[in-house]
Amino acid sequence: MPLRSLTRAAALAASLATLIAAHPALAGKADDTLVYASDSEPENVSPYHNSAREGVILARNCWDTLLWRDPEDGTYKPMLATAWTWADDTTLDLTIREGVVFHNGDPLGPEDVAFTFNYVLTPEARTVTRQNVDWMKSVEVTGPHTVRIHLKAPFPAALEYLAGPTPIFPAAYFKKVGLDGFAKAPVGSGPYRITKVDSGRGVSMERFDTYWAGSPLGKPKIGKLQFRVIPDGESRMAELMTGGVDWIWRVPSDQAEQLRAAPNITVLNSETMRVGFLQFDTLGRAKENSPLKDVRVRQAISYAIDRKAMVDNLVRGASRVMNALCFVDQFGCTDQGVMRYPYDPAKAKALLKDAGYGNGFEIDLGAYRERDYAEAVIGYLGAVGIKARLNYLRYAAFRDSLRAGKVSIGYQTWGSFSVLDVSAFDGVYFRGGEEDLTKDPQVIADLQEGDGSTDPETRKAAYAKALQRIAAQAYALPMFSYSTNYAFTSDLNFTAQPDEVPRFYAASWK
Amino acid sequence: MSLPPDTAALAAPALPPETPVALAPVPSPTRLILRRGLRHSGFLIGAGILGLIVLAALAAPLIAPHDPYAQDVSRRLIPPVWQAKGTWDHVLGTDKLGRDYLSRLLYGGQISLLIGLSAALISGLIGTTLGLCAGYFGGWVDSVVSYIVTTRLAMPVVLVALAMAALVGGSLKVVVLVLGFLLWDRFAVVTRAATQQIRNQDFVSAARAAGLTDLRIIGQEILPNIMNALIVVATLEMAHAILLEAALSFLGLGVQPPLPSWGLMIAEGKQYMFFQPWVITIPGVALLLLVLAINLLGDGLRDITAPEARH
Amino acid sequence: MLAFTVRRVLVALAVAVTVSVASFLLLHLSGDLATAIAGPEATGPQIAQIRQDYGLDQPLLTQFLTWGWRALHLDFGNSFYFRERVIDLLAARLPITLYLGFIALAVALFVAIPLGVIAAVKRDTWIDRTALAVSVLGQAMPSFWFGLTLILIFSVNLRWLPVSGNATWKNFVLPAVALGYYAMPAVMRLTRNGMLEVLASDYVRTARAKGLPPRKILVRHALRNAVIPVIALAAVQFGFMLGGSIVIEAVFSLQGLGQLAWESIARNDFPVVQAIVLVLAMIYIGLTLAADLLNAFLDPRLRQS
Repeated sequence: MPLRSLTRAAALAASLATLIAAHPALAGKADDTLVYASDSEPENVSPYHNSAREGVILARNCWDTLLWRDPEDGTYKPMLATAWTWADDTTLDLTIREGVVFHNGDPLGPEDVAFTFNYVLTPEARTVTRQNVDWMKSVEVTGPHTVRIHLKAPFPAALEYLAGPTPIFPAAYFKKVGLDGFAKAPVGSGPYRITKVDSGRGVSMERFDTYWAGSPLGKPKIGKLQFRVIPDGESRMAELMTGGVDWIWRVPSDQAEQLRAAPNITVLNSETMRVGFLQFDTLGRAKENSPLKDVRVRQAISYAIDRKAMVDNLVRGASRVMNALCFVDQFGCTDQGVMRYPYDPAKAKALLKDAGYGNGFEIDLGAYRERDYAEAVIGYLGAVGIKARLNYLRYAAFRDSLRAGKVSIGYQTWGSFSVLDVSAFDGVYFRGGEEDLTKDPQVIADLQEGDGSTDPETRKAAYAKALQRIAAQAYALPMFSYSTNYAFTSDLNFTAQPDEVPRFYAASWK
Repeated sequence: MSLPPDTAALAAPALPPETPVALAPVPSPTRLILRRGLRHSGFLIGAGILGLIVLAALAAPLIAPHDPYAQDVSRRLIPPVWQAKGTWDHVLGTDKLGRDYLSRLLYGGQISLLIGLSAALISGLIGTTLGLCAGYFGGWVDSVVSYIVTTRLAMPVVLVALAMAALVGGSLKVVVLVLGFLLWDRFAVVTRAATQQIRNQDFVSAARAAGLTDLRIIGQEILPNIMNALIVVATLEMAHAILLEAALSFLGLGVQPPLPSWGLMIAEGKQYMFFQPWVITIPGVALLLLVLAINLLGDGLRDITAPEARH
Repeated sequence: MLAFTVRRVLVALAVAVTVSVASFLLLHLSGDLATAIAGPEATGPQIAQIRQDYGLDQPLLTQFLTWGWRALHLDFGNSFYFRERVIDLLAARLPITLYLGFIALAVALFVAIPLGVIAAVKRDTWIDRTALAVSVLGQAMPSFWFGLTLILIFSVNLRWLPVSGNATWKNFVLPAVALGYYAMPAVMRLTRNGMLEVLASDYVRTARAKGLPPRKILVRHALRNAVIPVIALAAVQFGFMLGGSIVIEAVFSLQGLGQLAWESIARNDFPVVQAIVLVLAMIYIGLTLAADLLNAFLDPRLRQS
């Protein structure tokens, strides 16, 4: 046996030994450790290299952004940037705050900002959600404390993005360790610092003691955070009930109602920005002669699903039926003049007959979360003769096979990276990108116009046109906004925000 | 080489190892078996329960009160009739999408039985063929078969089944095929051992002396004599397949919704186990009874047809 | 003994090679590897570059040999999903599954052997029948249901043991019971039959005639002989448990090899899946080989076949 194998075998034996001697996981107020659990983990902790909600949570608790959107009034406030001015429509000048340090002690300066953005713009960086960054052309350092962002085209939503999915990386450290090293030992400048990344199992964090004073996020009150991956919903709930974890979310409504009655557990329901929708393979890439190429079939599917009944009985809480493909509070989102598809199975059957599918057809349906909702959709489709076969995957795998054109109907949900601008939603699915299954030039043009105009009214009009066409052509069927049930120990002060980002840095023990 | 005897007998973990190898060379008279059967309580109970389940499953279209696929989300999670809010319209209540649970249970019985039977049939065909060849011809054929069996045993079943289902996409057909192609090892081992015993019996030598072809000897002399053993293995494998389907469905790669297999119903009911336990208990008990009945039947059959095999 | 050993080792090697071909093919059946390695954001030229870099444009046999050589050195490449080497993921998870397997086996043996002995001694009494009934009933229960029921009783209601995770030995108790339960019936039946056989044998009868105390006969003479096949069974069962722990690990969120395998399948992360298949198969092959050799050593009759 080669020496390397021998050392590996020894390491294995050693880890077996430590495992047996391991100490119990601490949770709760007594240990000042907030343990939160979710069902899956981001494939890469680096915020630009995953599009999972669990990744967004880590990003918002461990990395600072240039700007900060005040959830109270929706205005942008200084964070890592103390001031910003538009030199012209495509040039944004920012002044970077002095005295901020990264978790590894490196000072944060304009070089870090320029490096981060220039890096994530390169094709080699393989940024997962390019929509978040590709409005930038390049970034240059213009002075000891200033940077200038050059835009590709006017992009009025820029500030919204700078206040969200664009955290700042430490340039020197990242260059030294590379993306792989960064994924294992990430460094940011946020209120918590990541102490350990355990692939597929969780992430440990602790309060960053030298977090800059005066941050709008404030100094965290809870000393340690621990994110645990517990794939099984019942195990998560049992853990909460027995005090093994302190905070869970996405508790199905049926169980949330029961949990409410339990002592020591607080249940909170809140609408989120996440919108569920069916995305159709309108180009017929996944299946030869796909019936979905026919607009009548897509409309039939839209009429066949009783979204109201699903909201009232399955989803419940604060969720609402959506008619336009976006979240109502996003800038530019409107369902005025958008075609509606009330539940009408008879009409669905008639449309299918018209399209030559009087006897229905078989189709695959991909999904990655809330299996119940996908099954309800399958049930409704079955009632009008469409046999849908469920293909249930983990998010990244689902997303990748959708991008590769292997999914006929995708049960998608999108939380827009918590960006309150329609570009963050429809831009991902209908502006010609990888997840655009339609590539309709007209929709693409409308969205580009909306993204690039500086006049708010022009933007709104352009987005409205795009949304109307998406609905009329039934390229996608918006289902409903999601509401989530948070359940946590009654020892915890926790408030939820509709942007679906739990702010653990603001939580405290009672 | 020969298959290590211990490995052979212990082929599958979830099932009893004492598969019959000691067989009566001449089949016992039918009447004797019948008389023994009627005295064997395990056999009777097993046969009775299984008969009822088969009957209910076959008669599902006649006796099911509702369409098992008709969903009505406004009538979801109605408890069974014996609970406070139950109604006689849904005797066993409704599931998470408001489908009638009794109807789904009846139709689900069809699917679980279908999975068990077809998987046992496929694996029986593969395993018996291999076992007969190995046992009858011996020599290098035996070595090759033993090597195939050992290789198959070395592959982790659940994992390979999962991976294959994931690659092809889970469906009823895929589940049946995957299980059928994975669970033949015990058939092969038992058939081989039984064939080896019979091969040297006088009546086989006589047939050979009479100039019968190998194929005819296998078909006419050997196969009928190992049939009892095969039926016992078939029952065990049927139970095994049904349980494995439940596990695959639990892991999300078994039978796909909206088909109501019992395994899938348990898997879906899992979500309600803390607060609405009947959702998981009803299909769970059904599956337990079915597998129990099949196992009792199998054990009983072995006792009846080869009483000397049991101490 | 030597001839037997050589023969047995050769078979094990042949099986190992076959299994590795199968697991190699599993990876290649999973889709275009270059596209998968490159990731969804990659462009055409990037994919072509990777195809070349990884030798994926070579003939399949060349690829297999390269792969096999690397696998021999425990190099299974990188995970498609995590930016980590497969071997590192495995090394982090295997101990948990091994540990679970050991405890489960211990639980199974600890319960099943005494039960088998008692069942044999008290043959055809209610004790014997109850033991049988427990084993039959156990086999009829889906393992995940049993596991969740254990959680419900011992974690949620009684609060004796933790629900999930692998922080302390306490976390392993319930999963080990759930996993071990399924190995119990086989061990019990084998012990019972072995005991019955030995108890009926001449030398036990002689010992009895000599007037030795029954307990001494039972332990010193009967059990010692009856337990030989159980050792082999235990080794085999351990192999099966490692492969079968996938469901139990999913229920208890025990982040061992089984859960890694399950999640890797759901993530289309086939380098990890095939490495796990290979490792589990190799462990099984090693265990059965050891068990056979041990058995042959203990029981010379077996060497003849």
